Parts: sequence; C-alpha cells; structure tokens
Amino acid sequence: MLPTVRAALAATLLAGAAAISPQAQAATPRDALVMAWNLDALITFDPAQIAEVNGNDIIRNVCEPLVNYDLRDVSRMAPGTAESWSVSEDGMTLTFKLNANLKFPNGRTATAHDAVWSMHRVVALGYGNSANFTQWGFTRDKIEQQITAADDRTIVVKMDRPYPVQLILSAMFASGSTGILDSEIGKREAKTVDGRYDWANPFFKTNPVCVGHYRVTRWNTNEVVILERNDNYHGEKAKLRRIIIRHVPESAAQRLLLEKGDIDVARLLNTDDLRALSRNPNVSVTTTTMHGYSYLAFNAQDPIFSNPKVRQAFRWMIDYQGLGSTVLEYQGTPRASLVPLGAFGALDEKEGQPFKLDLERAKALLAEAGFPNGFTKKFIHSANNISPQVAQHVQANAAKIGVRLELEQMADAQLFTRARAREFEVLLIGWGAGYPDADSMISRHAVNPDNRPEARLAQYPSWRSSWQDAKINEMADAARMERDPAKRIAMYHEIQKYMMENGPMAYIFQTVRPIAVRKEIKGFMMTPFDVDYATASK
Amino acid sequence: MAEPKAAAGKPPAAASSSALPRWVRPLARQVASVVVTLLGLMALAFFIGRMLPLDPVIAIVGEQAEKETYDMVYRQLGLDKPLWQQFLFFIRDMLSGDFGNALFTGNRVADDLKRVFPATIELATFAIMIGVGIGVPVGVLAAVYRDSPLDHSARFIGLLGYSSPTFWLGLMGLIVFYAWLGWVGGPGRLDVIYIDMVEPVTGMLTIDALMVGEYDVFWDALSHLILPGTILGYSSMAYISRMTRSFMLEQLSQEYITAARVKGQSKWRVVWRHAFRNILVQLITVIALAYAFLLEGAVLTETVFAWPGFGRYLTSGILAGDMNAVLACVLIIGVIFVALNLLSDLLYRMLDPRTK
Repeated sequence: MLPTVRAALAATLLAGAAAISPQAQAATPRDALVMAWNLDALITFDPAQIAEVNGNDIIRNVCEPLVNYDLRDVSRMAPGTAESWSVSEDGMTLTFKLNANLKFPNGRTATAHDAVWSMHRVVALGYGNSANFTQWGFTRDKIEQQITAADDRTIVVKMDRPYPVQLILSAMFASGSTGILDSEIGKREAKTVDGRYDWANPFFKTNPVCVGHYRVTRWNTNEVVILERNDNYHGEKAKLRRIIIRHVPESAAQRLLLEKGDIDVARLLNTDDLRALSRNPNVSVTTTTMHGYSYLAFNAQDPIFSNPKVRQAFRWMIDYQGLGSTVLEYQGTPRASLVPLGAFGALDEKEGQPFKLDLERAKALLAEAGFPNGFTKKFIHSANNISPQVAQHVQANAAKIGVRLELEQMADAQLFTRARAREFEVLLIGWGAGYPDADSMISRHAVNPDNRPEARLAQYPSWRSSWQDAKINEMADAARMERDPAKRIAMYHEIQKYMMENGPMAYIFQTVRPIAVRKEIKGFMMTPFDVDYATASK
Repeated sequence: MAEPKAAAGKPPAAASSSALPRWVRPLARQVASVVVTLLGLMALAFFIGRMLPLDPVIAIVGEQAEKETYDMVYRQLGLDKPLWQQFLFFIRDMLSGDFGNALFTGNRVADDLKRVFPATIELATFAIMIGVGIGVPVGVLAAVYRDSPLDHSARFIGLLGYSSPTFWLGLMGLIVFYAWLGWVGGPGRLDVIYIDMVEPVTGMLTIDALMVGEYDVFWDALSHLILPGTILGYSSMAYISRMTRSFMLEQLSQEYITAARVKGQSKWRVVWRHAFRNILVQLITVIALAYAFLLEGAVLTETVFAWPGFGRYLTSGILAGDMNAVLACVLIIGVIFVALNLLSDLLYRMLDPRTK
C-alpha cells in the first residue's frame, strides 16, 4: 500500500479512537525508560562505523565524546570525558586533560591510551566516520604521530593547520568518533582477516565497551535494544537504570502504545498522530529544529539548469509560507539559506529566508534565461514521509508558469544511488549537518574541490550537482581558517548570500524532530545533536 | 552448481539396472527437479536483484560516505567481480551452509533467519489453525445448507475477511481490543518486562515459555499473538471455507451421495464419512498453499504489529539491495513451497485409493 494512502487510512481510523477512554492504564517499569522507534537502519554500535541517526542517538549515551555540546546552546562547548583543553600559541597543538575518574562499565580505569587507540582505529578502519578526522588533515599513515598520549590523562593533538579551536572542537572532538573504547578488550578481540587488521570491529559492533552513562546489554535486530546504567560513570549517574528501545515501525501503533502507557516516548510519529497526541492530557509533544535540510538539487550538467537564473526562478516558485503552515507542521521550518538556524555563523531567520511565492518574478527570470515558455524536466524524490507532498507542491507551482516537472517517486536507497551518480535533472533530498558550525554545510554543499566526473566526490552535494565555483572554494577556506569569531561570522554571512543567488540547490526547509513523551517523564533533554537519556526520570 | 546436478543425474542412470527398487527412479527425478527449480529460482532472484537500481554499499557506508570508504566496501562485497562469478561464489558458500552477512542488519544471515523465521512460523501456525479450525466446518455447513441464511452470512463474512486490507483490520483490532477493551497485548511479541526472561530455543515464544514453565511469559506472548494471528487466520479462513464449500457442493451432487442416503445412512454420516473424505485430497493442497503463503510472512501485518518476522526482513532486504539476505529468503520460500508440494503429493498418494 502507498505510504500516503496508508497514513490517510490510519488517520481516519485513529480519529475515531481519540474518544477512547483507556481501561486500566498500563505502565512501564518504574526504573526504565521505554522508547518506540524505527530501528530498521541500525546495523552497528561500533562508534567508528555508525552512519545513521538512530545509532548516533544511542551511541552518544554509551560512548561519551571528549567534549560535549552545551545542552542550552549547541555552538558552545562543555566538558565530556576531557575535563579541560588548551591550545598552543601557534594554534597547531591541542592538549586535552582527561577526567581523572573515567571508568569503563567493567570497572577498569579508562586512560588517554584507550582514548588515543580508539581515535586511531576510526581513521584506520576508514568507515564514513573517518572523515571526522581526515577532513582536518589527519591521515591513516600519520595518525599515530598526530594524536598521542603524553601520559595516562593527557592527549596531545598535532594539527596540520591552525584551525579555530571552537570549530575543531565542534567538528571533530564532539563527534561520537572520539568515544573511549576499552583498548585492552579491543586488542584482545582484534583479528587479522585476509591480511587486514580488524580493530575488533566485529566485537564492538554489538558490544561497545565504552565510557558513558549506559552500556548496551541487549540488541535483537529490528526488535529491541536495551541499555543498562553504567554505575561506574565518573559524573552524575543516570537517573533511570534501564533504557528500552523498541522497534515499532508504524506511527499509528506507536501512538496507541503511548496513549495506553506501554511506552514512555514515541519517536516516529506522522503529523496526524502528533496532532491528535498534542490534545492528549497525558502526553506532551515537543519539537527540536534539527541541523538538517530538505532541498532541491539541480544538476548543472543539464543545459537548462546550468543557468543560475533558472535555479533562481525555482526559489520564487516555492511557497515557503504556504508549506510552513500546512505540510510542514511538526516536520520542518522553511529556510532558504544553506546554514541552519542555530549553527555558528548562520544568517538570522529573516535574512536566511528572503524568498516567497512570486510566480511573476519566476517567470521573468525564466524569460531572461531564455525559456519564456518553460521546459519539461524529470524530478525524482523519496517516497518517505512528506517528500511526495512537497514534490507535488513544487510541481503544481512550476506548472503555472509552464515548467512541467515529471515526478518519479522511489525508495531512499535508490534516490541516494541516483544522486551520488549524478543521474538526475532535479531531485528532492535531505542532508544532515555533522556539527553546529556553518563550516559543516558550506564545506560540503558549497565547496567542490574537484568537479571532474572521475573524481567521484559523492560526499559533496556540490559535486553531485556538477557545480563548482572557485571563488566560493577560496572564501570557504579563508573562513575555516579565520580565528577571529566575529570575522568568521561575517565571512559565512557573505557566502550564504552568494549561495542563495548562485548555488545549485534550493533549500526548502530545515527539518524538525517531533517527539511525544508521557507527562510522567521528567528531564528528557534534546538538542539537535544529542538526546540525553541520562537526565530523564519518572 | 555442477555438484548437485551430477548427484541428481546419477540415480536415474543407475535405476536402469534392475538391482534397484522401483521407487528410486521417480524419487531421483523428483530430487533433480527440486534442485533445478531451486537453482533456477535463485538465479532469477539474483540477476533481477542485481539489476535493481539499488546500491547495497550505501546501506553500509551511509549516504555521505567518501569515495575511499565506498570503494573499500564495494570490493569487500565482491561487487567488482563479474555477475556470474558473484553468483557462483554465492552458490558455493550457500552449499557449505554460509549465506554471508546481511548488510542491512550487520549480522550473519543465518543468525537473522534463526530469529525472524520462528516468529513468522509461530504467527503462521496460529493463523492456519484458526483458518482450518473455523474455515473447514463453516465451508462444509455452507455447502450442506446451500442458499440458507447460514450460507449467505458465511459468504458475507468470508468475503469481508478476504477483501479487507490486513493493515486496516490490524489497526482496527488494535484500537478495539488493545487500546479500548484491553483484552490483548499491543504491538510487539512481549511486554517489555518479559523481554529476555526466556532463552530462545525454538524461537517461538509461546513454546519456549512453556518448555521452561514460565507461564506468565506464555500468557503474555499468547496475548500478543492472538490479534495478529486471528487477523491473518481470518483471511485464510475466508479462502479455506470458500474452497471447502465448492469442493463439498461438487461431491454432494454426486450420485453416490444419493445412493448412500437411499441406503438409509444418516445425513451427517454421509456428509462427513463419504463426501468430506473425498474432498480431503484437494483440501490438503489448498491448506498447504494457504500455510505456505502465511509462512512467506505478511509484511503489513508484521509492520502494524511490530512483529519481527520474515516478511519484513525480506522487504527490508529488498529495499536495501541486500542480495545475501534476499537470496537466502528466496531459497527458504522456494524450499517451503517445494516441501509442501511434496507433502501434499505424498498425502495424495496415501489418501487417494486410485494412486495405490
């Protein structure tokens, strides 16, 4: 059944159920937090390998990074496993002092040697997370000299360039890849398979023995994940003893479980269910604006989309306000600038969203570009969530000025494959920023180091769109190296404005993460980069 | 690939010598045809799967991965090899019982199947018990009381069961019996407090719980099983009862029935001992097929009820372009159908005197 049809069906059904007065309330165990989620994408707990949202969310509660984002303001830094840090005069050496009481759940003291070993393995294994290091000049060949342990509590990091401390902390040392694994266990469990040292990846995949509030004690694929409190934790211990994450892939089923009290938190709900739950006195619905986007990407290889005026015209075809008040309820906040609100260096709400629906203007731009009568293009998008609605919305507006968009809906895996292979004319897709700094988006969406097809830089959406701009490459690098925060912000503002005029993407909205929590749960803290299970209580 | 064929080829040749018993030759032919069927099925699934525009590497490395990471995993999966070679490697590993790793779960496919398949068997078996237990008597009664209100209501209820989307029925069932009345457990196989209380032996929670005498767990598992099981059972009941009815009608119009009645045998004796006996063979085929379809897994039911079963596993595998998982599933489905076919053949021979 089509997801939309299914959702509509579920909505109608559940509308009737709103009047239900539940019988005796079920209750979750007093010392446990029960969450429902879709765990389909979860394939590993190895912090070096995790590449998806759910795994990241969980691992940050199991493997604490060296530094944390401040829960109140993600662009600030708070201690993690490192209690302090300092930078050398020339900006090339960073020194971290670890907390003296770090312990693994098995009671063994965690040292700088464990921390350094854990970071080396991220780079050596070479999964996607190694980019957290390699994009800052750390390499597989030199990592063992670049990151070293001076003693049991001191980590010394030698950088290739004097990056601004705030940026490097946020981008690299607050990432889940800096979690401290037990290197004693790791070295014991590691094997060499086909001439390749596996750094105990198969072992840590299911048993990440790490410094953090919780430890993973059970993982039944696509069924349940259970975390137990680490009673050896060095700071304030987690309030609840167990976290139980159940795989419930259907929004309507999550809603019923939540209303009935069989779960405490529902994390995958569609708009209709959220709307209904917001009227339930036992449940509170909150949203967090994430550092992620849903955007249109144009392929600049295409003779029509290579013209910036055409891409500009599309920005005036998006009814940001209309979408915002309808389809995007609980799902997104309209925004056209590529740096998300909340990130360091972002344009403010107004400056970052200068567009509105203006078909006259769009038509004039198309005429200037030489297409007064429009054109026909193929438009691919995901079948998930609200993507079909957003795509249809763009299609309808475009049709009014003669631009015929032929929609093709597909599974995410297929959409990603097409995007990465440059096989599209225009597409609607999502992207999540890795850290709350303008650099995160700009370094991937604006910068394109090598536009040749054979470079295959598919991790750069700019490359996917076959778009390169030497000026932007330079501006972005200069901003990345600017150590005066005020100047750095000004530079990012300039880049954002330039991209809104010339870039290969039309950003539609910043994603929002809705969550429904039963009222008896207190202190469930969320930021765009962390969901803190440890502060939750009943 | 060559191995099973050779093995299958031998017995017919040997059977021509009169030293071997009579049953060897048909059995060998049977085995050969099963092997060829399964191989063909695998080849078809493999090549169709590889032609799908889905990239299994992305499922592992993530959508934002760099070229180096991508290439590394691409080679690890053997995707740089020609297709036919990939297929041969797969068959070779499979023959030694190794289905490789499932990319989208990160586990060994064999381990995944050990987990998801019992969940589906439990559900399917419960469903088929309902389907047969209610469907067969209802079908017989509908035939005996043809065109009576009983027949009409059986038809109506049956049609409703056959044509309602299970997704819709599932949600309705949850709203009424779980949320509203609180008679049954909600989505999932167990309440959270019972998770992991019983070590899996068969993987079927009700049976595992009974084996170690954990009655609380048994009742909880049963309360979660009833609703999805009944809903699946309902649609197969509808099918089974319709088929039973039409088989019975055919028999009841035969002359031997009239003859038996004329001889003075009671109505029900004639129905059950004569007519029903004669439809058993056909009925078994219908039931076997219905059971096979249930064992394939019911994706939508499994989704609504958060039931970690075979259907969802296969669907997720397909969507992630994960050929290891998909091929193993296809093989299992193939084996189920072949096995149930053989079984109903066998029963056919036992029950139909003409084949003796």
